[in-house]
Amino acid sequence: MRKLHFTYEMQIEYSIDVARCNFTIKCCPQNTARQRLEDVNVQLFPATTYCTGVDGLQNKQIYGVNELPHKIFRFQTDGTAYTGLCDYEEIVNEDYAMIFRHPHGLNQAGVGIMDFYEKHKPDSGLSVYEKAQYFMHLLHAKFSYQPCTTDVDTTAEDAFVQGHGVCQDYAHIFISLMHLSNIPARYVTGLIVGEGASHAWVEVLCDDKWYGFDPTNEKMVVDEHIKIGVGRDAKDCMINRGIMHGGGLHTQIIKVNVKDCL
Amino acid sequence: MKHLELLEHTDTVNELLARYGVKFGIYKNNVFNEQLFPFDAIPRIIEKDEFSYLEKGLKQRVLALNIFLKDIYSKKQIVRDGVVPEDFIFASSGYMVECEGVSPVKDVYSHISGIDLVKGKDENWYILEDNLRVPSGASYPMIARDLCRRSSPGTFTDLKIEDNRNYAQLLRRTFDNVNVGGHTVILTPGRYNAAYFEHSYLAEQTGAHLVNGSELIVKDDKLYFITADGKYERVGAVYRRISDEYLDPMNFNPESLIGIPHIYDVFRKGNVALLNAPGNGVADDKGIYYFVPKMIKYYLNEEPILSNAPTYLPFYEDDYKYVIDHFDDLVLKDVAEAGGYGVVFGNSMTKEQKKNFLALLEKEPRRFIAQEVIDFQDIDILEGGEMLPRKADLRAFVLMADEPLVWKSGLTRFSRNPDSFIVNSSQGGGFKDTWVLYQ
Repeated sequence: MRKLHFTYEMQIEYSIDVARCNFTIKCCPQNTARQRLEDVNVQLFPATTYCTGVDGLQNKQIYGVNELPHKIFRFQTDGTAYTGLCDYEEIVNEDYAMIFRHPHGLNQAGVGIMDFYEKHKPDSGLSVYEKAQYFMHLLHAKFSYQPCTTDVDTTAEDAFVQGHGVCQDYAHIFISLMHLSNIPARYVTGLIVGEGASHAWVEVLCDDKWYGFDPTNEKMVVDEHIKIGVGRDAKDCMINRGIMHGGGLHTQIIKVNVKDCL
Repeated sequence: MKHLELLEHTDTVNELLARYGVKFGIYKNNVFNEQLFPFDAIPRIIEKDEFSYLEKGLKQRVLALNIFLKDIYSKKQIVRDGVVPEDFIFASSGYMVECEGVSPVKDVYSHISGIDLVKGKDENWYILEDNLRVPSGASYPMIARDLCRRSSPGTFTDLKIEDNRNYAQLLRRTFDNVNVGGHTVILTPGRYNAAYFEHSYLAEQTGAHLVNGSELIVKDDKLYFITADGKYERVGAVYRRISDEYLDPMNFNPESLIGIPHIYDVFRKGNVALLNAPGNGVADDKGIYYFVPKMIKYYLNEEPILSNAPTYLPFYEDDYKYVIDHFDDLVLKDVAEAGGYGVVFGNSMTKEQKKNFLALLEKEPRRFIAQEVIDFQDIDILEGGEMLPRKADLRAFVLMADEPLVWKSGLTRFSRNPDSFIVNSSQGGGFKDTWVLYQ
């Protein structure tokens, strides 16, 4: 077990007033077999009342309308997470692997990924867990980390063909390789120890247990990761979604800090 | 035939329809054209016994489809039991993950279903298609009947026809069954929508408010109608005539300007009824159609009363072989398309087209279904003073209120082209009233 303290801060600055904005934020880590949360605070600026609920995949979300004219919108959450409580998450009720076995949205393979898969078909004697590890190593060797070369709409195939991208792209490609192997895999948003931005990785269903694979860092998810949400692809669990009336140009700054509690 | 008297009034009825704005809008190459929906006065007549057989079959089908939708968005038992393959659900564009675990009011998914049937030359009725999203068309025979009665009252004095002008009452009963408290509104994308006439007519006939997206607002997990003087009044049911993807930019397509942000969140909390429920597309595409008779057996433990047209799924190896061997006798349909698009007849393809199609079929077998061409009965239409036989189908309407209700009428659409089997109004066809006899 590890005790981590996390802060996540997202600030959007506008060049002119936003008269009104709708927001949905899926940035609420929940208790799982692997992690337990404590003392979680959420703050919105300008201070706004909001509703809470869950989406179709049971991700917790907070949403509402901000009707005060504003030039800055800020969402902030912090808390304590006990991680590494278990290596995996059991498949729970209302949690069906079949949803995560089929290509969807940004994780769909094209000719590039399919060819790669054909050339590197794993040995059929390997377990699901071993196949996932095998592809994680292969992908890590083949693909390189290079920020600002892809965006939130980049598909697994496009990223793969260009050969570099960020954690979202690693995750999408890894999911499509799992699907080609007929293995259920899901996209995970979350935070990782250190300073920077939010992170993304993949959970793979091995013998009815979801194991976390982090292809970007080529490591298993043990106790450095704090999980936030899941989806078939990044769109299903986007941390922030909004509609603004007004606002002009905007810039978004995200600050994440996860460190061991002393 | 008594109804012959009515035929003399065809032009009057069509003029009245035009005056009432009974139009059908079509976008083609980005240009919006409004055209009249031509009415033919020769009705389709269905005998009492025949209709009560249809009625039983339609109720059975829609009941099974509703249970299927509930099952798919919760336990998925039918998939786990291997009756419907996973591919036909989770790789279907109609499946919406956002609807997982959400229970619509009283578990009704398809409040208004439009089921398309044809009557074959063998006297059997066949189901061609289920429409569980936002089926349109009921308003046309409704208003046509009304105008026919006005133009030719003599025709209706002693014919034993079920009055179809009660559709509005049935619809109201359907709204009231699920309204959670507050107004009932009909949400339209606006006057450039193909079925705008219908939206406004049904609003007028049911006493619901006709609104567009900007007149509704979500606040604290409830939906409100904004009155002319700016007050918020609670809405309990929305008969929405906008498709799922445009309904809520915060949950579905973020680019929608006609939707209401967070309306689906309100629905999820049970604070408003949406008719029909989002996510129904998973139950009415052409691939799932194949499985509806199996659903009826699976969920209701009954034999299906109404048959599908004989259908093959190239997804299954045996069916694939059959399709290749009998290619010229079959009609092939792309499961993702609607409105008469994506339909090709095996025997109408050139060699080249056939070769390309077979290659596509081999690559994406799940994308297509193949059906025997049903030789369906002609119905006469009146053209230039002559009676000419044309292909016609029937869209029957099944409403799920406190109990399933079948409207004793329906939209009969015909093809104006003598060689065509495609009757869709988006392809330029016309319509007829459907007379159901009560004696």
